[in-house]
Amino acid sequence: MSEQDLPAFALLGFGTDGWGRVLVLGAVLTLALSLASMTIGSVLGALLAWARGSRRGWLARLATAYGVIMRGVPELLVVLLLYFGAPGLMAAVAGLFGLPAPGSPPAFLTGSLAIGLVSAAYQAEVFRGGLLAVPKGQVEAALAAGMGPWLRFRRIVLPQVLHHVLPPLGNVWQFNLKDSALVAITGLAELMRVSLVAAGSTRRPFLFFAAAMVLYLALTSLSSAVFRRIEARGSQWAGRR
Amino acid sequence: MGGAAMNADVTFLADTALAIVRAVPVTLGLFVASAIGASLLGGGLVAALTAGLAPVRGIARGWIFLFRGTPLLLQIFMVYYGLAALGPVRQGPFWPAFRDPLFCAGLAMTCCCSAYIAEVLRGALAAIPAGQIEAALACGMGRVTRLRLIVLPQMLRLALPAYGNELVMMVKSTSLASTITVLDVTGVAQQVIAHSYRTLDVFCLAAGVYLGLTGALTALLRWAERRLDPTVSDGAGEGASR
Amino acid sequence: MTDAIPVLRATGIEKSFGGRKVLKGIDLDAAKGEVISILGGSGSGKSTFLRCLNLLEMPDVGEISIAGTPAPLVRDRHGALRVSDARALGSMRARTAMVFQGFNLWSHMRVIDNVIAAPVHVHGMAREEAVERAHALLERVGMGGFAQHWPRQLSGGQQQRVAIARALATDPELMLFDEPTSALDPERVREVLDLMRSLAAEGRTMLVVTHEMAFARDVSTRVVHVREGRIESMGPPAQMFGPDASPAFRAFLSA
Repeated sequence: MSEQDLPAFALLGFGTDGWGRVLVLGAVLTLALSLASMTIGSVLGALLAWARGSRRGWLARLATAYGVIMRGVPELLVVLLLYFGAPGLMAAVAGLFGLPAPGSPPAFLTGSLAIGLVSAAYQAEVFRGGLLAVPKGQVEAALAAGMGPWLRFRRIVLPQVLHHVLPPLGNVWQFNLKDSALVAITGLAELMRVSLVAAGSTRRPFLFFAAAMVLYLALTSLSSAVFRRIEARGSQWAGRR
Repeated sequence: MGGAAMNADVTFLADTALAIVRAVPVTLGLFVASAIGASLLGGGLVAALTAGLAPVRGIARGWIFLFRGTPLLLQIFMVYYGLAALGPVRQGPFWPAFRDPLFCAGLAMTCCCSAYIAEVLRGALAAIPAGQIEAALACGMGRVTRLRLIVLPQMLRLALPAYGNELVMMVKSTSLASTITVLDVTGVAQQVIAHSYRTLDVFCLAAGVYLGLTGALTALLRWAERRLDPTVSDGAGEGASR
Repeated sequence: MTDAIPVLRATGIEKSFGGRKVLKGIDLDAAKGEVISILGGSGSGKSTFLRCLNLLEMPDVGEISIAGTPAPLVRDRHGALRVSDARALGSMRARTAMVFQGFNLWSHMRVIDNVIAAPVHVHGMAREEAVERAHALLERVGMGGFAQHWPRQLSGGQQQRVAIARALATDPELMLFDEPTSALDPERVREVLDLMRSLAAEGRTMLVVTHEMAFARDVSTRVVHVREGRIESMGPPAQMFGPDASPAFRAFLSA
């Protein structure tokens, strides 16, 4: 029996003819990829936000330029650049130390790095907005109370920044999740890629793209529910204080 | 020998730049067409969201949920490969259009971005201060007059910054068309790389083109915002008793 | 003959918000040329009552008529009031005008466009005529040089004077003032009150929700004290501010 004649439930199921397991694993990899790139983006984004406010002019300008470039260039181009460019770059670096070319880095690494580099530019904006949203009087009151810089940041600034950045961070996460589909072009078997493979080998593209859409919708609506939960908790905690 | 290599380099870069610049009309055309389509559709969606009939509101909400919750890349594949596999589409009158990758990319972008634009417009509508509407009600303006004179102008002004962001996102999204064989700026860049195995310089050229496009668009939007913001505008001049 | 018909007749106005009854049955008539000050503590329902009169707030129960024309209200099957005729509602509102606490000048229109909007787009007046009249009105409220300004370039007192010019532009039969000076800096209150005084002297019919006791005492023909959703007492200022005033009103005044 050819796969083209199989009923949809068999193709999408978890049996021997079914692609269900592959699709779900793809969704898990999509989630992992998004988490990795979000983490990379958070670390780099925080650094960029700090650099933007730095008193060293060149550092602030560098961070600004990074944001302008990353937010003005298509995400696909960044993914392609890292995918095609990484082996050459690694060979060049290895060559500097007289080592043999290490070959291609894992697709998961280049993919999460590419999406993370883009994410960082947007997260930097979010963090910067959060920092600016803390009223000056809050910091002045902490200064007046004799708090040192670290205590001031941890006890006064950080809690208030978190309160402001959570909703826009949720937004960035949603874009991360959807941008992760671009990594499919590198061959990494995340959800977009496996739905393409399944569509190709069964010749039932409508079915598998629809299935992938459902899984993406599940991921996006599940994560927005989680973010709502955290936000509600955050404000409750803020209220109790 | 070094000179000859440098010469070849310059020739290669010049040729590549020319090829990429030749693809700008494809990218720009795709952007303009889908921006117009998405804006009109987005406006329709907001009208549907505020409609009295519950099923109409439901359809609009479902549309926005679907297109905002899934990657544009997947939507493009769905339109180009997924719909093409369906009998009714193949036999239908629009089959020639659905065989055209550029049309499919534009259609997917229109649908996707209409959902984002609808959200922007809805936010702006909700942000109009209640007093502005009350003043219109109090002097007896009817629904249509209110919409034309007060609601739409205020909504557009409030929406402009976020709408501008969506447009910039759309310029970048056009690059996804290259995944279904459209030879836009990204498509041409990939083609050159496939032939030449030179990655960094070709991508930098393409990135420069996109930066130019998004930069020009941003400047245009800033100018429009300044024109629309009365506090920045000068006190007297044209405008009033037209 | 027409003078016998009150400009405003409101009977049995009741209104609840989420189960809390804010208005518990208010009757009020206003004859032509009357200036009625409505006083009361915060939460007494005085602003809600005023907003019911041009149906910015829909009363639960009650009847309203403007110069003899009843408001187009019908009862639906649950007994709640609803508008029966949007066009009639529009023309009722077109015969009244409201001045808001927060001015509510349309921020995307210049001063002159704010003033001509209702005459041109609601009353169908020719633009040239409307502009000419608007300039005269702006002169009248002391804002003659500001026709081409944007609302946000003006102080609160200036914005409120433009809002009054906008209200006058349709030559309304009844003017509703909802705490017109409450959002103003103390030094700006006078310029608006002086203007309202001159409108009263002109014979305009005005309903003014206010905290300005001096205005209520010196300008109004009648003072209404609203307390807990009812008219607690009313009368001419001489009586209300005299020795025979109700204890509740005296308590309100001394609070």
